Amino acid sequence: MNCRECEERLQSYVDRELSEQELLEVQRHLEACPPCENHFRLQLHLKRLVKVCCESGQAPAHLRAKLRQILF
Amino acid sequence: MAVGIGVSVAVLEPGMATMVAVADDPGSERGAQSDDFAEEAIGYLDTLYRGALRLTRDPAQAEDLVQDTYLRALRYRHSYQSGTNMKAWLFAIMRNLFWDRFKGGRPEDVSLDGDAEASLYDTLKDPTAMPEADVLDRIAADEVVRAVEQLPELHREVVLLVDVEGFSYKDAAEVLQVPIGTVMSRLHRARRQLQRSLQDYAREAGIVHGEQGRAG
Repeated sequence: MNCRECEERLQSYVDRELSEQELLEVQRHLEACPPCENHFRLQLHLKRLVKVCCESGQAPAHLRAKLRQILF
Repeated sequence: MAVGIGVSVAVLEPGMATMVAVADDPGSERGAQSDDFAEEAIGYLDTLYRGALRLTRDPAQAEDLVQDTYLRALRYRHSYQSGTNMKAWLFAIMRNLFWDRFKGGRPEDVSLDGDAEASLYDTLKDPTAMPEADVLDRIAADEVVRAVEQLPELHREVVLLVDVEGFSYKDAAEVLQVPIGTVMSRLHRARRQLQRSLQDYAREAGIVHGEQGRAG
């Protein structure tokens, strides 16, 4: 696997969407290629950062109360 | 498509844009509402509200959107297949309501997807186009949220589903009613935009200096 082939699969690798065989091929390339490894780490970092930052916050209590009245 | 996450055509048809009062709807079965369906559905309230907030970027509109999502879910509960992915089903309802109410109709495949073939390889060749991981760590959470909220809606919603909510490409594709390849290309472009936005912010905030900034 060359860098371009790795790059094309990196998004699916970060998102855990590759087959086992493809996953192993990407892993093997990353272990041998610092630039691709750096890029992978950045992509993973960005994904986690977005999740952590956008996951905080709760629905307002009055909305929950209103919905409970509607639903139950 | 309905098999995977229980999103049936009945829920997604355009004629459903107008929500009627639950009490007027014979299909809502008010007498049997206090059940597992309602309990499971209310369990996704915080998740849906956060998603609505990111989509509408307005707390009042987010509340309206979430409330209407639950009303519609209740009305069309018969189309939900028990044991399937209720979170995806609710997100599909909310997403369709969002486009109907706030954006004047369902999105078409617009020019945003036009150069979907663009490769991240181009980014790789230009290391200054990417922030370093330690730079990302120094960016405030509010700025990350802001960068997400500035994405075009078609890109924002796929980031919400895949990155924030952890949907598989397949489930995201079903919620968005697009092929998996479209999910992937939108995600790809959304992440590039996020990287650019955060890198620009880091440079403006003095977290990185000019020579580390994005070239263009």
